[in-house]
Amino acid sequence: MSFKKFEPNDIILNTMRTHPQSEFFIFDSVIYYNSEKHISGAFTSSVKNVPSGFISLYEYNIDKLSGSNNFIYPWIYKDSARASLRASVSTGGGTEAVTGKFGDKLIGSYPLSSSIMREYMVTAGERRTDTQTGSSPTDVIGSWLSAPTYPHYFALKNALDFYGARSKHYKITGSAVGTSYDWIKDQQTINLISIPEIFYGSEIKPGSVSLKWYFTGSLIGELQDTKRNGELIQINTSSNPALPDNSGSVAGVVMYQEGFVLLTGSWALNTEEIGIIKGDTSGYNPKWIYFGAGAQDNVLQPLTVPASFNSASFELSFKGTTETQVMTMFAHAKKGEINYSNNPTFLEFGQDELKLTSSLVYEENSDRVIKNTVSSSHTDYSGSFKRQVYVSRVGIYDDNKNLIGIATLANPVRKQEDQDLTFKIRLDI
Amino acid sequence: MPTLNYESINTNTDVTTTRTLLHESIPLTGAIVSGTYGQETSEENIKNYTHGMFQSVYDYPYLSSSANHIFDITMGYHSSSPFSSSASEQNAKKINLYTEFAQVLLGYTGSDNIVEIFESDLDFGDNNNQMKSCYFVNFSRLLTKDQVKKGSFSMTIGTGSWLGPFDLQAVAANGSTSGSAIVITDASSSEVGGTNTKGNGGEYAVLYRRYGTEAAGYTYSGIGAANENGVGVIFYQAGIVVLTSSIWDRMGPPIKAIGQGTFYRRHEGHLKQSISGAFTGSSISGACDALRHRIANISFNNTTEINSTIYFCRAAHNKFNYSSNPTYISGSKIRVKNVSSDSPISYITTIGLYNASNELLAVAKLSEPIKKDPTTELTLRVRLDY
Repeated sequence: MSFKKFEPNDIILNTMRTHPQSEFFIFDSVIYYNSEKHISGAFTSSVKNVPSGFISLYEYNIDKLSGSNNFIYPWIYKDSARASLRASVSTGGGTEAVTGKFGDKLIGSYPLSSSIMREYMVTAGERRTDTQTGSSPTDVIGSWLSAPTYPHYFALKNALDFYGARSKHYKITGSAVGTSYDWIKDQQTINLISIPEIFYGSEIKPGSVSLKWYFTGSLIGELQDTKRNGELIQINTSSNPALPDNSGSVAGVVMYQEGFVLLTGSWALNTEEIGIIKGDTSGYNPKWIYFGAGAQDNVLQPLTVPASFNSASFELSFKGTTETQVMTMFAHAKKGEINYSNNPTFLEFGQDELKLTSSLVYEENSDRVIKNTVSSSHTDYSGSFKRQVYVSRVGIYDDNKNLIGIATLANPVRKQEDQDLTFKIRLDI
Repeated sequence: MPTLNYESINTNTDVTTTRTLLHESIPLTGAIVSGTYGQETSEENIKNYTHGMFQSVYDYPYLSSSANHIFDITMGYHSSSPFSSSASEQNAKKINLYTEFAQVLLGYTGSDNIVEIFESDLDFGDNNNQMKSCYFVNFSRLLTKDQVKKGSFSMTIGTGSWLGPFDLQAVAANGSTSGSAIVITDASSSEVGGTNTKGNGGEYAVLYRRYGTEAAGYTYSGIGAANENGVGVIFYQAGIVVLTSSIWDRMGPPIKAIGQGTFYRRHEGHLKQSISGAFTGSSISGACDALRHRIANISFNNTTEINSTIYFCRAAHNKFNYSSNPTYISGSKIRVKNVSSDSPISYITTIGLYNASNELLAVAKLSEPIKKDPTTELTLRVRLDY
């Protein structure tokens, strides 16, 4: 086997950008991810052991049931490297890594799962009021604003203002109009939909976001980020002429890198009324602030009137962005090179390997003949001998001639002595 | 952007590396391997190939995208085995498979291109305790990861008749000598010893039959209670288990399969075969079916090595007490100072790791800001896993 060195032009490094499509459909408090159908197993009602709409990391606890077909679980020994599992199931939970003794097992659990989540925030900037009381509870000495009711919104406020340069709709406070403002997000009702990073990679692809509001199966509203600046713009006109035309209105913003959709659009999409707010028995018109109701927000079909929550269904779709480094290598087999094989079948069968061996001499047989593999067009007649090999694999070696990778061809390629061949090898990193 | 105070890292004193071993406990229930997903010969989680050289076992019907490949089973014998005969079913393939495993896992004996023969002891060169006819179980890389954790492998197999391979009481007693279900483990090996490292296939240890109960203490043995050699070997890095066929015909009582001649009841024609009958008269896939039928449990722990570099980032008492964060200053005064004679204070939230050209490579965030002033010195420990 001969080694050949890659020349500088034989190795190319590129980045491959892909945009995987994700689609979430929410109906009757159940999320469906990419139209994945339910699969039941012999031990469990759902083989992946995660709820509908969730993905399972690693996906290898398939059809498991504790006691009958036990779960695979991870563990490490506590040592001075201070590594710990983020989700620990041992007694003491996450503190096990702190309180446990060295040598203790820190145990985790699989499957780890993930899905989208909706948070409905009335007066998003609301903060709890803490009071200091005197001798009786009614004797209030002082009161002050304390922790925010919706900390997730507070955590996003800086980032929202930062993206204000991209679109004014990100801004916490809109433009001043007289003594008032266009909007103050702190005082608005915000519908926050969180999309975990595992679904989109490094960012949601601008221009790919679409939100669809269905009522009894008919599309009553669709938002798209048509300007690719994060604004979610309604692209349809209302089918009800009695309602104002809100096409072109901005109903919210999407934070591409962080994976959040914030909806503030509070206009009616039709005149029907459904029970869509958790713990509220009144009926409300479909609005963008109710989009995605049922996605891990404890909104359920109410038992009393108006019991028509399951007339509503929602679709959220977008494309993610992933970047993969790709190394392309060109392995050249030039004329007159790579024309010999060490494979035992390369030589004619039944020839003596040694010509002479004694206590003084060790001589190999120099007259061994290469097996003629040239095919002939005539039956029972072999073609005239030509040197040729069939290349089946290309090995990649490092500077120290350690084999670090093998590229195997789908079919062996015949290389004749007067041919130049180049093998293009791609390695995704 | 907060203050950019570059502080050089001394590679001798400020950087160290650690290795954390992440283990996973892998229980494989025997019912998955045989019986749960259909009847013999039509099991939906077992894939047989037209080449007939091995059989793949999945944890769910393999046509489902949820299914994971968990292991392959095959068998073979050496050309010098008594089973080797031109009359044997798939004779050449069985010899080729044995030879291939021996070549890859053990290597050659010397100059004659003759492969070593598996032995149920730690010295495969001494030609004692040879295992010339074997089952091979190749676990998927998905399960074994970097390697099987030494001393953690255990497999319960039935040595009873075809219709009752497991003595129920024996399963409950977990290895009691009274039953026909036996437990095979590598308990004698550990991270520090009990393995052979000379083969081509990495480290291997001997598998022994376990006797007794946990309460009374276990004892271990090979074929026949007095022998010290084992019943097979396990290759940790390769994730391959080799079991001798002698488990079913040469071990002492209460092995029943040989006595009743029912190691394998072939589906077609209800042919009853002993272990030697299955090795010679059945195809490879048929012999693999017989083994699967006799697996009650497999469990082991795997190992994944996680390498980390730890950087000790030292903030001396007179450094990092100031910030260029816009909110640090209010009305041209440092916000956290009230009196001009107060010492400067900063709150550290982030550590940036830079390369020699001062390009930001990585960012470490603290779970909460830490107060820094000239009266304190901090060493922040940054761990980078890869």
